[in-house]
Amino acid sequence: MKSELELRGVQQRFHARGVADGYITAVDDVSFSLAASPPQIVSLVGQSGSGKSTIARNVLGLQKPTAGSVLYGGKDIFKLSRAEYDEYRRDVQPVFQDPYAIFNPFYRVDRVLWKAVKKFKLADTRAKGLELIEESLRAVRLEPENVLGRYPHQLSGGQRQRIMLARVHMLRPSFIIADEPVSMLDAQVRKHFLDILLDFQIKHGMTTLFITHDLSTVYYLGGEVMVITKGEIVERGPVSTVMHEPSHPYTKLLLDSIPQPDPDQRWTSRIAVDELERLDDANPAADTKPEAPII
Amino acid sequence: MNNVPGNVSESVLEIKGLEVVYSTNRGDVKAVRGIDLDVRRGEILGIAGESGSGKSTLAVALLRLLKAPGKVTGGSVLFNPAGRSPVDLLKVHGEELRVLRWSALSYLPQGSMSSLNPVMRVEDQFKDVILEHAPERKSSLHEMIPRLLAQVGLEPRVARMYPHELSGGMKQRVLMAIAVALEPDLVIADEPTTALDVTIQRVILQSLADLRTDFGVTLMVISHDMGVHAQLADRVAVMYEGQLVEVGDVRQVFKDPQDAYTRQLIESIPKLGRRAS
Repeated sequence: MKSELELRGVQQRFHARGVADGYITAVDDVSFSLAASPPQIVSLVGQSGSGKSTIARNVLGLQKPTAGSVLYGGKDIFKLSRAEYDEYRRDVQPVFQDPYAIFNPFYRVDRVLWKAVKKFKLADTRAKGLELIEESLRAVRLEPENVLGRYPHQLSGGQRQRIMLARVHMLRPSFIIADEPVSMLDAQVRKHFLDILLDFQIKHGMTTLFITHDLSTVYYLGGEVMVITKGEIVERGPVSTVMHEPSHPYTKLLLDSIPQPDPDQRWTSRIAVDELERLDDANPAADTKPEAPII
Repeated sequence: MNNVPGNVSESVLEIKGLEVVYSTNRGDVKAVRGIDLDVRRGEILGIAGESGSGKSTLAVALLRLLKAPGKVTGGSVLFNPAGRSPVDLLKVHGEELRVLRWSALSYLPQGSMSSLNPVMRVEDQFKDVILEHAPERKSSLHEMIPRLLAQVGLEPRVARMYPHELSGGMKQRVLMAIAVALEPDLVIADEPTTALDVTIQRVILQSLADLRTDFGVTLMVISHDMGVHAQLADRVAVMYEGQLVEVGDVRQVFKDPQDAYTRQLIESIPKLGRRAS
């Protein structure tokens, strides 16, 4: 278990059609570090196309940045030895947005958990493995008898997302990289999920990088927040400070755009559509392909 | 009553005693339980309520898009389009209904849902709607499409694009432009900004307000987000368990809610951001 995950000058460019130099820069010179101790929750907030998911892919080693490096315990994750890479793989765990896409519909959900037991040799007997699985399911407030033996389509989105958290719980990583994990969940299930993440931080000392476009979840989680726009991190600080005294104009715009539930506080200024259109053009989802093949 | 054809009635929609049930094998579930509501011409009426309160069921029932096992079991919905005879929306069928749709009564769905056809260019989706509901406008299509796109702040080049080339906010604005293509009397918008980023949401709300100001469209906006209603609506109707618990001017509803549930709904809104402090 290493104590630090660090991004140093990470840049990610994609080939793009119809732009001046044939490239768009999704992530531009991003540097930040996450410490395993003390455990913390750091949110990365930005709108669609800001580059936040690309950063998640970089941190998880799914996409090699075009410049700069991702360091785990001081070493470039793309230059680790086999043993170091295995450790990194176990110690940095992802939770993705879509609780539907993560499961193979032909297998029972147990498989995802048993795979972890076997791959990471968490238990030497089947009984111990099952005990571990059941313990982790209870830790995410799922009743083992309600979920084990079921197929993904028989569970709700919230239950599936919590199974991924149970898997994380079994592995006890130092770092969780959660990319929009609650965007497809409704309000009540969302709160459940966030509470579990907070639980993991307090009880098991896990540090989470929480990627989202939703400011209210950032507010709920607390901790620190980084604001990203057009591939650049423009502000970082404690949630309470950034939310109440934002220093960057983009953060101000973001906060001002939350519709206030007060008819006397209606927006008086307008947002220029052109400005946002340019942001839309930075959306790497359209018309681009990664420079390096995705592993 | 002043519902003479050619005359403009004050209410676009008069809903009386509307009831909708979903039949299940454990009996009927009443989703809408006797709603009385007038939608005034030129207003933006917000429909608020939590998930399961029946607000979307109300919308699909008004649009006559309700599918089995849902069925309307009572009430009437008098629709007064300008320059046409008033009709009970629950009693029109076939061709009569088809003629009303889009040209008098239209629908703005949630843009993140797959509302646009992924294999058609934006301009072809406009053509589809316009030729289906107003074939006589065929010759003016080339002029209409860029003008409609401009109304929602989109460039003419968007017409040649496919939905996957558009961002979520752009898709929602294309849907808005399609919804108002035939200058309808009433647009029913179901969660028009849900699942969009806050900044894009603000642009969409801005554009919706513009549609009313510039073109006099009457809007019924369904949203679970009280912030959206506070920013956009003239009046707000609050639904709870299939009933309307309160209807009033937006300032009155927020500042002086008459109903206990409305008060709860407003108090439960998390306060964040600078202006709330």
